[in-house]
Amino acid sequence: MVRTTPPALPVRDRQATRALSPMLTRLAEERATGVLVREHGVLYLAEGRVVHAESPHAPGLDVLLTAHGTLAGAAWQQAAAQTPGPLHAAELLLRSGILPTGALELCHLDALYDAGYFALAPSSTPGRFRYDPAPRPGPLPSVPVVALERETLRRRLLLHRLWPDPAADSTPLIRADPAAGRAPAAPVTPRQRAVLDRVDGLRTAADIARNLGRQAYHTLVDVRRLTAAGHVSPTAPAPPAPVPLPPHQVTTDPDIALLKRLRDALEAL
Amino acid sequence: MPGIDECLLEAMRLPGARGAALVDWTSGLALGTVGDAPGGDHETTAAEAAELARMAAEHGTFAAHGDELPPVEDVIISNGDSYHLLRFVDTSFDSSVFLHLWLGREDGNLALARIRLGEMAARLVLG
Repeated sequence: MVRTTPPALPVRDRQATRALSPMLTRLAEERATGVLVREHGVLYLAEGRVVHAESPHAPGLDVLLTAHGTLAGAAWQQAAAQTPGPLHAAELLLRSGILPTGALELCHLDALYDAGYFALAPSSTPGRFRYDPAPRPGPLPSVPVVALERETLRRRLLLHRLWPDPAADSTPLIRADPAAGRAPAAPVTPRQRAVLDRVDGLRTAADIARNLGRQAYHTLVDVRRLTAAGHVSPTAPAPPAPVPLPPHQVTTDPDIALLKRLRDALEAL
Repeated sequence: MPGIDECLLEAMRLPGARGAALVDWTSGLALGTVGDAPGGDHETTAAEAAELARMAAEHGTFAAHGDELPPVEDVIISNGDSYHLLRFVDTSFDSSVFLHLWLGREDGNLALARIRLGEMAARLVLG
Protein backbone atom coordinates (compact mmCIF):
# COMPACT_ATOMS: atom_id res chain seq x y z
CA MET A 1 0.00 0.00 0.00
CA VAL A 2 1.34 3.36 -0.92
CA ARG A 3 1.32 5.70 2.02
CA THR A 4 2.66 9.16 2.06
CA THR A 5 4.87 10.09 4.97
CA PRO A 6 3.13 12.60 7.19
CA PRO A 7 4.80 15.97 7.13
CA ALA A 8 7.35 16.58 9.84
CA LEU A 9 6.47 18.83 12.74
CA PRO A 10 7.82 22.22 11.83
CA VAL A 11 10.65 23.70 13.81
CA ARG A 12 10.34 27.32 14.80
CA ASP A 13 12.21 29.59 12.49
CA ARG A 14 14.50 31.58 14.71
CA GLN A 15 14.87 34.19 12.00
CA ALA A 16 11.16 34.83 11.93
CA THR A 17 10.71 37.65 14.36
CA ARG A 18 7.47 38.83 12.80
CA ALA A 19 5.14 39.76 15.60
CA LEU A 20 1.56 38.61 15.35
CA SER A 21 0.33 41.66 17.16
CA PRO A 22 2.46 44.80 17.32
CA MET A 23 0.33 45.97 20.24
CA LEU A 24 1.12 42.79 22.15
CA THR A 25 4.84 43.22 21.48
CA ARG A 26 4.69 46.77 22.83
CA LEU A 27 2.79 45.61 25.91
CA ALA A 28 5.38 42.91 26.57
CA GLU A 29 8.20 45.46 26.21
CA GLU A 30 6.63 47.80 28.73
CA ARG A 31 5.89 44.82 31.03
CA ALA A 32 2.23 45.77 31.07
CA THR A 33 -0.38 44.21 33.31
CA GLY A 34 -3.94 43.95 32.08
CA VAL A 35 -6.30 42.28 29.66
CA LEU A 36 -5.94 42.24 25.87
CA VAL A 37 -9.27 41.59 24.16
CA ARG A 38 -8.98 40.46 20.56
CA GLU A 39 -11.63 39.28 18.13
CA HIS A 40 -11.12 35.55 18.77
CA GLY A 41 -9.91 35.50 22.34
CA VAL A 42 -8.51 37.24 25.39
CA LEU A 43 -4.97 37.29 26.78
CA TYR A 44 -4.26 38.13 30.42
CA LEU A 45 -0.88 39.76 30.92
CA ALA A 46 1.02 40.16 34.18
CA GLU A 47 4.23 42.18 33.97
CA GLY A 48 4.39 41.52 30.24
CA ARG A 49 3.95 37.74 30.44
CA VAL A 50 0.87 35.74 29.47
CA VAL A 51 -0.62 34.20 32.60
CA HIS A 52 -3.94 33.05 31.16
CA ALA A 53 -5.84 32.93 27.86
CA GLU A 54 -9.45 32.36 26.92
CA SER A 55 -11.16 31.87 23.59
CA PRO A 56 -14.69 30.90 22.57
CA HIS A 57 -13.02 28.48 20.12
CA ALA A 58 -11.12 26.53 22.80
CA PRO A 59 -12.44 24.61 25.82
CA GLY A 60 -11.35 26.21 29.06
CA LEU A 61 -9.38 24.66 31.88
CA ASP A 62 -12.67 23.76 33.56
CA VAL A 63 -13.81 21.67 30.57
CA LEU A 64 -10.44 19.94 30.21
CA LEU A 65 -10.32 19.09 33.93
CA THR A 66 -13.91 17.95 34.39
CA ALA A 67 -14.63 16.19 31.06
CA HIS A 68 -12.80 13.01 32.01
CA GLY A 69 -13.35 13.15 35.75
CA THR A 70 -9.95 14.56 36.73
CA LEU A 71 -11.90 17.02 38.83
CA ALA A 72 -15.54 16.82 39.90
CA GLY A 73 -17.66 19.51 38.29
CA ALA A 74 -18.84 20.57 41.73
CA ALA A 75 -15.26 21.09 42.92
CA TRP A 76 -14.58 23.44 40.03
CA GLN A 77 -17.81 25.34 40.58
CA GLN A 78 -16.98 25.74 44.24
CA ALA A 79 -13.54 27.15 43.40
CA ALA A 80 -14.98 29.38 40.68
CA ALA A 81 -17.62 30.77 43.04
CA GLN A 82 -14.93 31.91 45.49
CA THR A 83 -12.70 33.59 42.93
CA PRO A 84 -12.97 36.35 40.29
CA GLY A 85 -11.93 34.20 37.31
CA PRO A 86 -10.74 30.82 36.02
CA LEU A 87 -7.04 31.55 36.64
CA HIS A 88 -7.69 32.37 40.27
CA ALA A 89 -9.92 29.31 40.56
CA ALA A 90 -7.04 27.17 39.26
CA GLU A 91 -4.68 28.77 41.78
CA LEU A 92 -7.13 28.03 44.55
CA LEU A 93 -7.27 24.39 43.46
CA LEU A 94 -3.47 24.32 43.48
CA ARG A 95 -3.30 25.70 47.02
CA SER A 96 -5.99 23.34 48.25
CA GLY A 97 -4.01 20.34 47.00
CA ILE A 98 -7.07 18.72 45.40
CA LEU A 99 -5.09 18.16 42.21
CA PRO A 100 -1.44 17.16 41.79
CA THR A 101 0.75 20.17 41.00
CA GLY A 102 2.17 18.67 37.81
CA ALA A 103 -1.25 17.78 36.44
CA LEU A 104 -2.61 21.24 37.08
CA GLU A 105 0.48 22.98 35.64
CA LEU A 106 0.32 20.80 32.56
CA CYS A 107 -3.40 21.33 32.00
CA HIS A 108 -3.01 25.08 32.60
CA LEU A 109 -0.23 25.35 29.98
CA ASP A 110 -2.22 23.19 27.54
CA ALA A 111 -5.23 25.51 27.91
CA LEU A 112 -3.09 28.65 27.69
CA TYR A 113 -1.36 27.71 24.44
CA ASP A 114 -4.65 26.39 23.04
CA ALA A 115 -6.72 29.52 23.71
CA GLY A 116 -3.71 31.70 22.86
CA TYR A 117 -3.54 30.13 19.41
CA PHE A 118 -7.07 31.34 18.65
CA ALA A 119 -6.69 34.67 20.46
CA LEU A 120 -3.78 35.47 18.14
CA ALA A 121 -5.64 34.42 14.97
CA PRO A 122 -5.87 37.11 12.29
CA SER A 123 -8.70 39.44 13.14
CA SER A 124 -10.74 42.00 11.29
CA THR A 125 -10.94 44.39 14.22
CA PRO A 126 -8.14 45.92 16.29
CA GLY A 127 -7.49 44.53 19.76
CA ARG A 128 -8.28 46.55 22.88
CA PHE A 129 -6.05 46.57 25.94
CA ARG A 130 -7.30 47.46 29.38
CA TYR A 131 -4.75 48.16 32.08
CA ASP A 132 -5.97 46.15 35.04
CA PRO A 133 -4.04 45.17 38.13
CA ALA A 134 -5.97 41.89 38.57
CA PRO A 135 -3.71 39.54 36.54
CA ARG A 136 -0.59 38.88 38.58
CA PRO A 137 2.24 36.42 38.40
CA GLY A 138 1.03 33.47 40.43
CA PRO A 139 2.12 29.96 41.29
CA LEU A 140 1.05 28.56 37.91
CA PRO A 141 3.54 28.89 35.04
CA SER A 142 3.33 31.94 32.77
CA VAL A 143 4.60 32.22 29.21
CA PRO A 144 6.60 35.04 27.57
CA VAL A 145 4.62 36.81 24.84
CA VAL A 146 7.27 36.00 22.26
CA ALA A 147 7.09 32.28 23.12
CA LEU A 148 3.31 32.23 22.64
CA GLU A 149 3.62 34.10 19.33
CA ARG A 150 6.32 31.79 18.00
CA GLU A 151 4.40 28.69 19.05
CA THR A 152 1.23 30.04 17.43
CA LEU A 153 3.07 30.63 14.15
CA ARG A 154 4.57 27.15 14.33
CA ARG A 155 1.13 25.63 14.93
CA ARG A 156 -0.31 27.49 11.94
CA LEU A 157 2.49 26.13 9.79
CA LEU A 158 1.86 22.57 11.03
CA LEU A 159 -1.84 22.78 10.09
CA HIS A 160 -0.96 24.24 6.71
CA ARG A 161 1.43 21.36 6.02
CA LEU A 162 -1.15 18.76 6.99
CA TRP A 163 -3.86 20.18 4.73
CA PRO A 164 -3.66 23.67 3.32
CA ASP A 165 -7.37 24.55 3.27
CA PRO A 166 -8.48 26.12 6.59
CA ALA A 167 -12.20 25.72 5.79
CA ALA A 168 -12.48 22.61 7.98
CA ASP A 169 -11.34 24.57 11.03
CA SER A 170 -14.49 26.59 11.47
CA THR A 171 -17.42 25.23 9.47
CA PRO A 172 -19.61 22.23 10.40
CA LEU A 173 -18.05 18.97 9.24
CA ILE A 174 -19.55 16.12 7.25
CA ARG A 175 -18.34 12.59 6.63
CA ALA A 176 -16.82 11.98 3.23
CA ASP A 177 -16.04 8.89 1.24
CA PRO A 178 -12.29 8.35 1.36
CA ALA A 179 -12.44 6.25 -1.79
CA ALA A 180 -13.56 9.24 -3.83
CA GLY A 181 -10.49 10.55 -5.49
CA ARG A 182 -7.50 11.06 -3.24
CA ALA A 183 -4.54 8.87 -2.42
CA PRO A 184 -5.08 5.72 -0.32
CA ALA A 185 -6.24 6.84 3.08
CA ALA A 186 -3.98 6.50 6.08
CA PRO A 187 -5.50 4.31 8.80
CA VAL A 188 -7.66 6.20 11.26
CA THR A 189 -6.07 6.29 14.72
CA PRO A 190 -8.18 5.73 17.86
CA ARG A 191 -8.00 9.45 18.68
CA GLN A 192 -9.12 10.36 15.18
CA ARG A 193 -11.87 7.73 15.37
CA ALA A 194 -13.38 9.54 18.36
CA VAL A 195 -13.38 12.78 16.35
CA LEU A 196 -14.82 11.08 13.28
CA ASP A 197 -17.62 9.52 15.35
CA ARG A 198 -18.79 13.01 16.29
CA VAL A 199 -18.85 14.42 12.76
CA ASP A 200 -22.56 14.86 12.09
CA GLY A 201 -22.97 17.73 9.67
CA LEU A 202 -23.69 20.17 12.49
CA ARG A 203 -20.68 20.16 14.79
CA THR A 204 -17.58 22.21 14.06
CA ALA A 205 -14.09 21.18 15.16
CA ALA A 206 -14.48 23.45 18.22
CA ASP A 207 -17.76 21.72 19.14
CA ILE A 208 -16.11 18.32 18.83
CA ALA A 209 -13.17 19.42 21.00
CA ARG A 210 -15.56 20.60 23.70
CA ASN A 211 -17.61 17.42 23.43
CA LEU A 212 -14.49 15.28 23.84
CA GLY A 213 -12.88 17.51 26.47
CA ARG A 214 -9.85 17.89 24.25
CA GLN A 215 -7.71 20.84 23.27
CA ALA A 216 -9.18 22.58 20.24
CA TYR A 217 -5.88 22.85 18.39
CA HIS A 218 -5.26 19.13 18.84
CA THR A 219 -8.69 18.51 17.37
CA LEU A 220 -7.84 20.76 14.41
CA VAL A 221 -4.76 18.60 13.79
CA ASP A 222 -6.96 15.49 13.72
CA VAL A 223 -9.56 17.20 11.52
CA ARG A 224 -6.97 18.40 9.00
CA ARG A 225 -5.43 14.91 8.89
CA LEU A 226 -8.87 13.35 8.42
CA THR A 227 -9.63 15.91 5.70
CA ALA A 228 -6.35 15.17 3.95
CA ALA A 229 -7.19 11.45 4.07
CA GLY A 230 -10.65 12.13 2.62
CA HIS A 231 -12.70 11.02 5.65
CA VAL A 232 -14.11 14.43 6.44
CA SER A 233 -14.94 17.58 4.58
CA PRO A 234 -16.25 20.99 5.52
CA THR A 235 -19.85 21.72 4.64
CA ALA A 236 -20.12 24.12 1.76
CA PRO A 237 -20.07 27.65 3.08
CA ALA A 238 -23.28 29.63 2.67
CA PRO A 239 -23.35 31.41 -0.68
CA PRO A 240 -22.18 34.97 -0.34
CA ALA A 241 -24.89 37.58 -0.21
CA PRO A 242 -25.43 39.11 -3.62
CA VAL A 243 -23.27 42.15 -4.04
CA PRO A 244 -25.47 45.22 -4.40
CA LEU A 245 -25.02 46.92 -7.70
CA PRO A 246 -22.96 50.06 -7.48
CA PRO A 247 -25.00 53.22 -7.59
CA HIS A 248 -25.39 54.65 -11.02
CA GLN A 249 -22.31 56.57 -12.00
CA VAL A 250 -23.13 60.18 -12.51
CA THR A 251 -19.59 61.42 -12.78
CA THR A 252 -18.41 61.41 -16.32
CA ASP A 253 -15.12 63.08 -15.61
CA PRO A 254 -13.55 61.58 -12.49
CA ASP A 255 -10.80 63.53 -10.87
CA ILE A 256 -7.87 61.33 -11.88
CA ALA A 257 -5.38 63.18 -9.70
CA LEU A 258 -7.59 62.76 -6.64
CA LEU A 259 -8.04 59.06 -7.32
CA LYS A 260 -4.28 58.61 -7.70
CA ARG A 261 -3.63 60.40 -4.42
CA LEU A 262 -6.26 58.23 -2.76
CA ARG A 263 -4.69 55.08 -4.18
CA ASP A 264 -1.22 56.11 -3.04
CA ALA A 265 -2.51 56.88 0.42
CA LEU A 266 -4.24 53.50 0.64
CA GLU A 267 -1.14 51.66 -0.52
CA ALA A 268 0.95 53.48 2.02
CA LEU A 269 -1.23 52.24 4.90
CA MET B 1 3.97 17.35 45.07
CA PRO B 2 6.31 17.94 42.17
CA GLY B 3 5.56 20.39 39.39
CA ILE B 4 6.92 20.18 35.86
CA ASP B 5 10.26 21.84 36.69
CA GLU B 6 10.87 19.71 39.79
CA CYS B 7 10.12 16.58 37.78
CA LEU B 8 12.64 17.54 35.07
CA LEU B 9 15.28 18.47 37.64
CA GLU B 10 14.78 15.10 39.31
CA ALA B 11 15.31 13.38 35.96
CA MET B 12 18.57 15.31 35.59
CA ARG B 13 19.87 13.71 38.79
CA LEU B 14 19.95 10.30 37.09
CA PRO B 15 23.48 9.14 36.26
CA GLY B 16 24.57 10.33 32.84
CA ALA B 17 21.60 12.69 32.30
CA ARG B 18 22.38 15.37 29.72
CA GLY B 19 18.99 16.95 29.21
CA ALA B 20 15.30 16.44 29.84
CA ALA B 21 12.06 17.89 28.51
CA LEU B 22 8.30 17.55 28.78
CA VAL B 23 6.93 17.57 25.22
CA ASP B 24 3.47 17.59 23.63
CA TRP B 25 3.56 15.09 20.78
CA THR B 26 0.61 16.51 18.85
CA SER B 27 2.03 20.00 18.47
CA GLY B 28 5.74 19.35 19.11
CA LEU B 29 5.84 22.00 21.84
CA ALA B 30 8.31 21.67 24.72
CA LEU B 31 6.33 22.58 27.85
CA GLY B 32 9.47 22.48 29.97
CA THR B 33 13.18 21.86 29.40
CA VAL B 34 16.35 21.50 31.49
CA GLY B 35 19.99 20.80 30.68
CA ASP B 36 21.34 20.35 27.17
CA ALA B 37 19.73 19.26 23.93
CA PRO B 38 21.40 17.47 21.03
CA GLY B 39 22.50 20.22 18.66
CA GLY B 40 21.95 22.75 21.42
CA ASP B 41 18.34 23.45 20.52
CA HIS B 42 15.50 22.22 22.72
CA GLU B 43 12.83 23.34 20.25
CA THR B 44 14.20 21.29 17.37
CA THR B 45 14.75 18.33 19.67
CA ALA B 46 11.16 18.56 20.95
CA ALA B 47 9.70 18.69 17.43
CA GLU B 48 11.74 15.70 16.26
CA ALA B 49 11.12 13.63 19.39
CA ALA B 50 7.40 14.43 19.11
CA GLU B 51 7.36 13.04 15.59
CA LEU B 52 8.89 9.78 16.81
CA ALA B 53 6.52 9.57 19.79
CA ARG B 54 3.48 10.19 17.61
CA MET B 55 4.44 7.42 15.22
CA ALA B 56 4.86 5.00 18.13
CA ALA B 57 1.62 6.08 19.81
CA GLU B 58 -0.54 5.98 16.70
CA HIS B 59 0.50 2.77 15.01
CA GLY B 60 -1.35 -0.27 16.24
CA THR B 61 1.70 -2.47 15.85
CA PHE B 62 3.28 -1.03 18.98
CA ALA B 63 0.15 -0.78 21.11
CA ALA B 64 -0.58 -2.93 24.14
CA HIS B 65 -3.71 -5.03 23.82
CA GLY B 66 -6.05 -4.11 26.59
CA ASP B 67 -8.49 -1.27 26.87
CA GLU B 68 -7.22 -0.16 30.26
CA LEU B 69 -3.59 0.06 29.20
CA PRO B 70 -2.01 3.13 27.62
CA PRO B 71 -1.00 2.18 24.07
CA VAL B 72 2.73 2.69 24.57
CA GLU B 73 4.91 3.23 27.68
CA ASP B 74 8.37 4.04 26.36
CA VAL B 75 10.30 4.61 23.19
CA ILE B 76 14.01 3.90 23.51
CA ILE B 77 16.69 4.92 21.04
CA SER B 78 20.32 4.07 21.48
CA ASN B 79 23.22 5.37 19.46
CA GLY B 80 27.00 5.23 19.70
CA ASP B 81 27.29 7.74 22.51
CA SER B 82 23.89 8.21 24.08
CA TYR B 83 20.40 6.95 24.87
CA HIS B 84 17.11 8.69 24.32
CA LEU B 85 14.26 7.61 26.54
CA LEU B 86 10.74 8.84 25.82
CA ARG B 87 8.19 8.05 28.53
CA PHE B 88 4.52 8.69 27.81
CA VAL B 89 2.67 10.47 30.59
CA ASP B 90 -0.74 8.95 31.23
CA THR B 91 -2.98 11.81 32.40
CA SER B 92 -6.55 11.53 33.61
CA PHE B 93 -7.45 14.55 31.44
CA ASP B 94 -6.92 14.53 27.70
CA SER B 95 -3.34 15.32 26.74
CA SER B 96 -0.54 13.99 24.57
CA VAL B 97 2.71 14.47 26.45
CA PHE B 98 5.87 12.51 27.15
CA LEU B 99 9.04 12.97 29.15
CA HIS B 100 12.20 12.93 27.06
CA LEU B 101 15.45 12.05 28.81
CA TRP B 102 18.80 12.23 27.01
CA LEU B 103 21.47 10.11 28.67
CA GLY B 104 25.20 9.83 28.02
CA ARG B 105 26.09 6.25 27.21
CA GLU B 106 29.23 6.15 29.37
CA ASP B 107 27.51 6.94 32.66
CA GLY B 108 23.89 6.24 31.84
CA ASN B 109 22.08 3.17 33.13
CA LEU B 110 19.21 2.59 30.73
CA ALA B 111 17.36 0.05 32.89
CA LEU B 112 17.50 2.23 35.99
CA ALA B 113 16.55 5.35 34.04
CA ARG B 114 13.57 3.61 32.50
CA ILE B 115 12.19 2.59 35.88
CA ARG B 116 12.85 5.99 37.49
CA LEU B 117 11.40 7.97 34.57
CA GLY B 118 8.25 5.88 34.76
CA GLU B 119 7.92 6.69 38.45
CA MET B 120 8.49 10.39 37.78
CA ALA B 121 5.88 10.43 35.02
CA ALA B 122 3.35 8.91 37.41
CA ARG B 123 4.19 11.29 40.27
CA LEU B 124 3.97 14.28 37.95
CA VAL B 125 0.29 13.75 37.28
CA LEU B 126 -0.82 11.65 40.24
CA GLY B 127 1.06 13.50 42.99
